[in-house]
Amino acid sequence: MATTLKPVNAVVVGFGWAGSILAKELTEAGLQVVALERGPHQDTYPDGAYPNTLDELTYNSRGKLFQDLSKSTVSIRHGIDGTALPYRQLSAFLPGNGVGGAGLHWSGVHFRIMPEELRLRSHYEERYGKGFIPEGMTIQDYGVSYEELEPHFDFAEKVFGTSGTAYKVKGQVVGDGNPFAPDRSDNFPLPALKDVYSAQLFRKAAEEVGMRPYAMPAANASGPWTNPYGVQMGPCNFCGFCSGYACYMYSKASPNLNILPALKQSELFELRVNSNVLRVNLDSDGKRATGVTYVDAQGREIVQPADLVIVSAFQFHNVHLMLLSGIGTPYDPRTGEGVVGKNFAYQNMATIKAFFDRDVHTNPFIGTGGGGVAVDDFNADNFDHGPLGFVGGSPFWVNQAGSKPIRGLTLPPGSPSWGSGWKQAAKDAYTHTLSMDAHGSNMSYRDNYLDLDPTYKDAYGQPLLRMTFDWKENEYKMTRYVTEQMRKIAEAMNPKAIAVHVKNFGEHFNTRAYQTTHLLGGAIMGSDPKTSAVNRYLQSWDVHNVFVIGASAFPQGTGYNPTGLVAALAYWSAKAIREQYLKNPGPLVQA
Amino acid sequence: MPDDKTFSGRRDFLRKTLAVIPAITVAGYGVATTAASQAAPTLQSPYRPRFFTSAEWAFVNAAVARLIPSDANGPGAVEAGVPEFIDRQLETAYGHGNLWYMQAPFAADAAPEFGHQLKLVPRDIYRIGIAALERWCQSQHGKVFAELEPAGQDDLLRQLEGGHLDLQDLPSALLFGQLWQNTREGFFADPIHGGNRGLVGWKLVGFPGARADFMDWVDRGEKYPFPPVSISGERG
Amino acid sequence: MKLIPYLFGLSALLALGASAAETADPELLKKGEYLARAGDCVACHTAKGGQPFAGGLPMETPIGTLFSTNITPDRETGIGAYSFEDFDLAVRHGIAKQGYTLYPAMPYPSYARVTEPDMRALYAYFMQGVAPVKQANKDSAIPWPLSMRLPLTFWRWAFAPAVEDFALAGGQDPLLERGAYLVDGLGHCGACHTPRGIGMQEKALSAGDGPDFLAGSAPLEGWIAKSLRGDHRTGISNWSEAELVQFLRTGRTDRTAVFGGMSEVVVHSMQYMTDADLTAIARYLKSLPASNPGAPAYAYDDQVSKALYHGDDSKTGAALYVDNCAACHRTDGQGYARVFPALAGNPVVSGDDATSLIHIVLKGDTLPATHQAPSTFTMPPFSWRLNDQQVADVVNFIRSSWGNQASPVNAEQVKHLRAELDVPALGQIPDPHALAPQH
Repeated sequence: MATTLKPVNAVVVGFGWAGSILAKELTEAGLQVVALERGPHQDTYPDGAYPNTLDELTYNSRGKLFQDLSKSTVSIRHGIDGTALPYRQLSAFLPGNGVGGAGLHWSGVHFRIMPEELRLRSHYEERYGKGFIPEGMTIQDYGVSYEELEPHFDFAEKVFGTSGTAYKVKGQVVGDGNPFAPDRSDNFPLPALKDVYSAQLFRKAAEEVGMRPYAMPAANASGPWTNPYGVQMGPCNFCGFCSGYACYMYSKASPNLNILPALKQSELFELRVNSNVLRVNLDSDGKRATGVTYVDAQGREIVQPADLVIVSAFQFHNVHLMLLSGIGTPYDPRTGEGVVGKNFAYQNMATIKAFFDRDVHTNPFIGTGGGGVAVDDFNADNFDHGPLGFVGGSPFWVNQAGSKPIRGLTLPPGSPSWGSGWKQAAKDAYTHTLSMDAHGSNMSYRDNYLDLDPTYKDAYGQPLLRMTFDWKENEYKMTRYVTEQMRKIAEAMNPKAIAVHVKNFGEHFNTRAYQTTHLLGGAIMGSDPKTSAVNRYLQSWDVHNVFVIGASAFPQGTGYNPTGLVAALAYWSAKAIREQYLKNPGPLVQA
Repeated sequence: MPDDKTFSGRRDFLRKTLAVIPAITVAGYGVATTAASQAAPTLQSPYRPRFFTSAEWAFVNAAVARLIPSDANGPGAVEAGVPEFIDRQLETAYGHGNLWYMQAPFAADAAPEFGHQLKLVPRDIYRIGIAALERWCQSQHGKVFAELEPAGQDDLLRQLEGGHLDLQDLPSALLFGQLWQNTREGFFADPIHGGNRGLVGWKLVGFPGARADFMDWVDRGEKYPFPPVSISGERG
Repeated sequence: MKLIPYLFGLSALLALGASAAETADPELLKKGEYLARAGDCVACHTAKGGQPFAGGLPMETPIGTLFSTNITPDRETGIGAYSFEDFDLAVRHGIAKQGYTLYPAMPYPSYARVTEPDMRALYAYFMQGVAPVKQANKDSAIPWPLSMRLPLTFWRWAFAPAVEDFALAGGQDPLLERGAYLVDGLGHCGACHTPRGIGMQEKALSAGDGPDFLAGSAPLEGWIAKSLRGDHRTGISNWSEAELVQFLRTGRTDRTAVFGGMSEVVVHSMQYMTDADLTAIARYLKSLPASNPGAPAYAYDDQVSKALYHGDDSKTGAALYVDNCAACHRTDGQGYARVFPALAGNPVVSGDDATSLIHIVLKGDTLPATHQAPSTFTMPPFSWRLNDQQVADVVNFIRSSWGNQASPVNAEQVKHLRAELDVPALGQIPDPHALAPQH
């Protein structure tokens, strides 16, 4: 028998970036907020304690801060007729677990979005004609504009203490930032991080081949920073332990570092850890949420009534929770009807490694998760797609985030795979190797979607979420084209050898190799309840007191990393709740 | 299963030695009050495997010695303590497969893109895999793996890697993949996990370990001058 | 997450019900609450995890353990039956209602300067603004004959000043005088920061008493309360008034961070003071001249940072510094502004007695959250990673680099402090989760 607790104004499900932002905004609005986090308590200290945390095996190889797959995972198949198999071991993507979510162990790359990507379908139809978007590609507009989000991008950068070099502020060119970047209302809070040597090589080579390099925006502080909440960050010292780790230098932005200390000062806020939400409870007609049911650390079922439910877990957990709770109509790929689970998308990566002689010291252990040098010449719609016949693009970059020898050692093509020859190659390669990525966009498709698995269950007896996903013709074309462009930069560096890792036509989604953790969509935002699960304010079309915040709202992928847009959308949604919803609870957009 | 006589003899010796180690350890901490007695212990206590049987231990020692041999470029996997590392890992949640989603049904015929879909956890892979490999060795060569000449061992490892051996109980590449992954881990992980003794793996490639500060070196493109340091504070 | 559990604002007041409502003058109670914070009464009169002001905190003294008393208005076990006169006698005169003399752990020699109007506000607050808690006082664990109260009376006669309302001298700067009132009186800064004489009495109680006043203490619970006078290398000569205010308000400045016993003073007391009062305190402290005016000023020396920049760690202790300290405190000893304290020119580092520095190397510490600066930063312990000689080497490296010129320490000193402290054992890598403050 479940225990029912006293009602609160708002319950926040999942305490990563989205959840912490909403919790902060709602307590500022005077609401009593309970945040439920399924994982344990985590903080810079002790979870990122120096020197204990500098342990590649424990953190990156064994995934100490990552989702505990033994309790819950997803299943994956390549097509709608296949049988999905569980994602049993962490490899392709690494969601977080515990306070801070993936925001504790992320790298720190902190982009905005290209304005046209927010209205991708309209933009492509306008520029390239209605027939350009291939059949089955279900890309959509977000229903919100860059101008509307700009103040929230700006505020999020101030909260995160983001380092970067602006190009245009209020219409004026102010620096040698990304010339393709949209206008900004203010400069970055902190100047760009220093270029590591590998990034210097990339910058020079990119200029030589006529591209326009810029410093990547990074939520790794280039200097001391005090954010609008009064919390402080220290400067990054390029230790290289970002992705997979909590930052002992207090310099990589995280919910734990940048928001939680301020929330702790509020009596209106309570954080309950080891609290796994099973479902959002709805009233009898399914139009209003009454709260959530969760399992606490002792295994007891608890009902937490609330006036407002913020679903802000990781992308696929949001979708999972909606499906389990019966919020919105599940998507059916055969009819194209329904919305929950629709437009699941990812990131389409390619990598080139350049190997140099022993006199070139790339020192790949020196790094910072979000820093580096990028070019946007082949990102978004910064180049003419007309003759190329594909949608999407990719920034390229040297984002040397600190590669360590267990997982980060790559050898030139043809090196022996073990034995004395391997040893020699490892010795010759490790500190003389440079890695660059094409961080390509991935479009959404009618048959790439999420639903509940018919076979496999999680530790609470609930069906796993099932991913149906594979690469499509457009994605092979895009990644192969942009990788050829990136190869020009690599060759201009005159390395001893290069290794190109790019998808071949027909190659299936490989769950074994790390891509990124940029999983997107499934509870997408939009202007029409027939084609989106949440409205432009990330409010459920069907249950007005449920807001679903996160990358689950992206209708398709982008060339940039998602966190910046997730944070901006969270602030955008919070503003709508504070200024509109609380005054007059109900649908903010009439269906 | 054949028992390696030299090993069992050595293990008896180890067992006797180990019996007195706790007392020494206690005494060591008890008098750890002067700088001299606080010096890091230089005597390496011999390791007694907890998971591996003596036959398995012989295999693991022989195999990792070929995967990362001791050669002109310095110590190899055995000298780095990789066998100890692997044995200790198999006693952790990882070794028991407790970090993985292990609900049935399993799919032995799954396409490789779906990753590991067998019921076997790392402990099983070693236990079943080594037994199967040694059976194969015995039937082909009349010897266990450790008794083969290095060239023969290398040949066998290559076949294992290529998935060319029919081991019946598991795919041969699975055993190789597990062993090679754990060998690299043991060679490059912080010594707190039992491998990378003397930081030899890090010294080989030039990784500075738990150094964690490159502020002075970020943009210099020079060889980094300081030796590696481990979590415990050991300098390589 | 609840606020610091010492919030006795109006809500607590309302909870007291009718009897309080009859007599309470909210302004007077508010003033009393503020003054109680200025006196940091809660720090000593609350046990770890106990009810505020209910006493029971053990205090280690050279002669045995004392326990602070219940000062809630409970009539039976607290001070509920005290008249104003009883209260005043205890606080300013050091004499309990029962007539015996209080142990001078109660800083009544400082409180002797508090004005009567302030005493009345404090009385009103303790009687009506604090929730009564029934909790019997614990007897001190001081063996006879040291437990006899009579010598305490002699001590009081010898060392406690006459109780006298502080009166403004009518000088040029009322803030300076306000500062003197707070520092000498309720703030009782000298209890830790002034050296003590043969009778354990503070050698000076005010600026006018000479250069011993706030000149720094001998080790107390493993920490040195540093000199607050204008000395170059060991005092606060290179702190501005604004930095002092910022430090007291938030526990941090660009170059330093609060640690040890002062953390509680900031968290429980100083962060609640008005800007005007913090400025007054800072101004008064900055008015104290150097005890040792002839000492040379600090000047940065870049020899060590240059060597480290070029990969030369041959100086004794330099390699240890690079391996353990440089990640946060930098090879140039400047730390990182507002987050990791500078070691170059830091008076805590350069004091004659290195106890605090050795202590923090062994045990680490956490910068506490304050309302205006909610971030906490933790330095981990190094007791498990460095042996006594290594601690001495790295401490000496710090004390002799970047222009610091302090006397060397030896492994024996480290050994003694290590034995006093509860720190992770050498050679055993601790789980930081076991050391972290509870959430």
